Amino acid sequence: MRNRSASCRFGRCLVLGCVAVVVMVCFAGRADAQRPGQKAGQKKPPKSNLPAAVIARPTKPAMKVAPLAGTSRADVDKAAAAIDRLLEAHWKEHDVATSPRLNDQQFLRRVFLDLAGRIPSLVEAQLFLDPATRDRAALVDALLQSPDYVSHFYNYWADILRLVDRPQPQLVFEPYLFYVKEAIRTNKPYDEWVFEMLSADGVLWENPAVGFQLRDAGMPLPYVDNTVRVLLGTQIGCAQCHDHPFDDWTQHQFYELAAFTSGTKNRGGGPKEIGKSPQKLIQEARKELERPTAFLRYINANTTRVTYKDTPLRLPHDYQYDDDSPKAVVTPKVLWGDVPTSARDADLRQQFAAWVVSHDNRQFARTIANRMWKKVMGRGLVEPVDDFQSGNPAAIPELLEHLTDEMQRLNFDLREFVRILVATEAYQRRAVAEDPASGVPYRFPAPTLRRMTAEQLWDSIVTLVAYNAWAVQRPTTAEVATLASVDFQTATFATAYKQFEKFNEEFGPGRHMRSLQKTVGYKGQLLVRASELPSPLPLGHFLRQFGQSDRESIEGGRTVATVPQILTMFNGPITHSMLERGSVIYDNVLAAIPRGPDQVTTVIFVSLLSRPPSLSERKLAREEIATAATPAAGYGNLIWALLNTREFIFIQ
Amino acid sequence: MFPFRSADDAVSRRDILRRLAGVAFGVSVHSHFGDIARAASAASSRDVSVILLQMRGAMSHLDTFDPKPGREEQGSTKAIKTKTPGVLFSEHVPQLAAISDRLAIVRAMTTETGAHEQATYLMRTSYPTINSIVHPSMGSWILQAKGTQAKELPGFVLVGNGSEHPGAGFLDASYTPVPVADPERGLENTTQPAYLSEAQFRRRLSLADRIDTAFKKAHKGPQIAAYDQMYQDATKLLGGSGLEAFDISKESEKTLAQYGDSTFGKGCLLARRLVEAGVRCVEVELGGWDMHRDIFADMGAKAAELDTGMSQLLADLSARGMLEKTLVVLATEFGRTPTVNQNAGRDHHPAVFSCVLAGAGIKGGAVLGASDERGFRPDDDAVTVEEFNTTIAHAAGLPYTKEFSAPNGRPFKIGGGGKPIAKILES
Repeated sequence: MRNRSASCRFGRCLVLGCVAVVVMVCFAGRADAQRPGQKAGQKKPPKSNLPAAVIARPTKPAMKVAPLAGTSRADVDKAAAAIDRLLEAHWKEHDVATSPRLNDQQFLRRVFLDLAGRIPSLVEAQLFLDPATRDRAALVDALLQSPDYVSHFYNYWADILRLVDRPQPQLVFEPYLFYVKEAIRTNKPYDEWVFEMLSADGVLWENPAVGFQLRDAGMPLPYVDNTVRVLLGTQIGCAQCHDHPFDDWTQHQFYELAAFTSGTKNRGGGPKEIGKSPQKLIQEARKELERPTAFLRYINANTTRVTYKDTPLRLPHDYQYDDDSPKAVVTPKVLWGDVPTSARDADLRQQFAAWVVSHDNRQFARTIANRMWKKVMGRGLVEPVDDFQSGNPAAIPELLEHLTDEMQRLNFDLREFVRILVATEAYQRRAVAEDPASGVPYRFPAPTLRRMTAEQLWDSIVTLVAYNAWAVQRPTTAEVATLASVDFQTATFATAYKQFEKFNEEFGPGRHMRSLQKTVGYKGQLLVRASELPSPLPLGHFLRQFGQSDRESIEGGRTVATVPQILTMFNGPITHSMLERGSVIYDNVLAAIPRGPDQVTTVIFVSLLSRPPSLSERKLAREEIATAATPAAGYGNLIWALLNTREFIFIQ
Repeated sequence: MFPFRSADDAVSRRDILRRLAGVAFGVSVHSHFGDIARAASAASSRDVSVILLQMRGAMSHLDTFDPKPGREEQGSTKAIKTKTPGVLFSEHVPQLAAISDRLAIVRAMTTETGAHEQATYLMRTSYPTINSIVHPSMGSWILQAKGTQAKELPGFVLVGNGSEHPGAGFLDASYTPVPVADPERGLENTTQPAYLSEAQFRRRLSLADRIDTAFKKAHKGPQIAAYDQMYQDATKLLGGSGLEAFDISKESEKTLAQYGDSTFGKGCLLARRLVEAGVRCVEVELGGWDMHRDIFADMGAKAAELDTGMSQLLADLSARGMLEKTLVVLATEFGRTPTVNQNAGRDHHPAVFSCVLAGAGIKGGAVLGASDERGFRPDDDAVTVEEFNTTIAHAAGLPYTKEFSAPNGRPFKIGGGGKPIAKILES
């Protein structure tokens, strides 16, 4: 080590701030400092460029996650075996070649990515790969009860529910976003969760479940379309304007369904609920402020309250079909089945909510069962997952019906459902690169080969950098309420404006970002879990580049390859952050240096690819390290190279 | 319980309806199809580039290119005269009104869906979304048919696009567009560390390749092949001399100011630079047209971005002698309701909307079709998305009558098998 350090210092003089050199300098420098005979702490190591909050060791878990249901492992395995039997029968019938079973390293990586949304850290990988502590089911159970699970499934739902901080300027959505995260953290049964969202009343920070209805505020018909699409996997959108020639649904049916929720209002609660003072505040603001818009929005947020009263819905004035006349009042009618008897005395919106989540409405269970199957296996039994229709039958109908039964048997405990799916043999087989364009139906011999989602990729790289990936978390409902809520009975313009300024300081988009930059920023990137970042992110952000949705279209996330992604992997700030002094992988490599280049190579391979190098790879690494300008430069090249393999970004 | 029809029923009914629809297209207004098809081969010898300006969220036709002065539906948007006698635009696009003699306005566009994603997909690919494949977008077709003009540059660039662009669809990954998030920042992360020599960079790449051998042996597929392609393209781009074309700061202060201080304006400028450097197709997106609320308050600022950006782009292309070989297209996914809703906005309206063409192969000053007195339905000469896109294909010299096979064996045509709109094409 000694004679090499000189050239490292030389390297530092030449080019500061460059990827490999940062590694090279840092590694060599620290290794030098830890030479035998030299006391630790004799010379303070130079400060890290990474934010202190990110490299500080966390003292407590990011959050407390609801414990798993007490289902025994034998019962989980039994349920998994039932699924495997159905699949095997299907494979036999269609002569499907099976895929080899995953080895432990491959299983480890996949299950971390699928349940925790990131690759395992070096320590986590070493722990699992140690034969003494190697237990697939125990690992699954631990992951399902981790904050990472909450973060990962939050991202999953954020893509479906179009979770953004401000869908409209007057909609302060942080409480709703937090509510979704809480529903996952507490593992709220899915049917209860959905019923709550479909029937909620109130102001966002008083009853954040109203966010679901407010996402399409002012657009009652698209709301019905989106709701049916997301929750019942059925597309009736075309029928909003006309009977679709190629589809089941008529415009009349669309309106019959919309009649259940058309009495939902979201603007103003009427003077009775909020008093008369908003008007006074608004007038004063217009008088006092040169640019009152932001303040008026703030007041608007306080008068945005979801209320419901049965209100007749009329057909459009240009209704063109013979079955009814324009402007006729429509009688509410669900798309199939009936409103459950227990809900028939409730108001129409409650009836609709009760119908959606009813056990008799199998399509509700079927839709979410198919979604969870896709989440785990990479492809729905029905694809797209929101387009169930007669022309689009399930790939294995008997399996989908079985999963629907299971979903109902588990009372919509989504986490328990996922727990069963990952216990199947089918899940534990090597991924198959499926080509939908080939015209060959996919018969699920294994999960499909997938590129990591943008969030999985981000969170995996953050795992290589941050000791604490949770240094910043989304604001809670209570935090928002304190500053957002104006009491119109007591507020004067002066007090309201003062509170508005504080709110703006804390939650105004620009200022919020600036304060986050101070705590967790590195070269413009916030080094925290993707779930905790503002939404939507700007188009140029790493996550958007790798296909995170703009959260305007339902499931808008993509995993398509583009050139700028590669440029970012080559040379973006996030690649740099990984190689900074004080990052997790930096420290781990540093600690391994005294044990020699082979050990360092193993640390790098396990950190990035969750597996030790093969014999030939070890040989390659030796060559690289021996011929690079310095060993440290060789390590930097090796890290860079592994990050830029297909093996890194695809989940096998 | 769940109203499934049998699968066989659905397919046959669908087929029959589609066939009927095909017959109906056959009796459309464009009768001299044969002449146009012959003319297309002449166009294909021209070296046409294409700039697509995509208005996302559905641009209101009444408040831009198809006002209905005097009608209640018009709201507070006023109409103004244009350079073309008898043709009115809205007050929000005065600069385009002043060069209307260069524009062909299609006022009778009509589409089937009022959902943004599906309608935008149709506009970009000429085909409705289906489950098994992704269709190529127009830019990728152009690139596939015409090839690149500058080897060190990508052939197709997207400026300011969201993530759901169909890109190259089922075509080879080499026709994938290169997205630029922010035209002011251009292509980011292109500065290699100073210490990293070309040789060292290659060495890193080769190391990555060799480590990847086992994985690639076990896993093959289009997704992985696409990444292999992108790694090649990125490497080529870094090694070449084309990066400067992505940098609008190389333009004079005056030029930058002319295009306007908006992301869209800068996108138009970037498009001009790229096309000038040999990029075959650039698509620039301008979002924010989904004005369900307060449309009359928001329209002015939004339309001004379009007005300044597009009019300056046309003027600049013309001044540089590039307009006759550059086709400029303004498209949107559908229109907005003539009736103003209770929130002072306009809702989705697929029945009729406006699009604009200019430049290579386009007859300036032409107006094709009209909406009715309320702006509700097309009166005559209704133009489908397929016909509009085939018109683009014609002007760009693409082989739009040729049948291509997708990987699933289905036949496809560039532009979707429509007929080009003769009335707005130069003969």
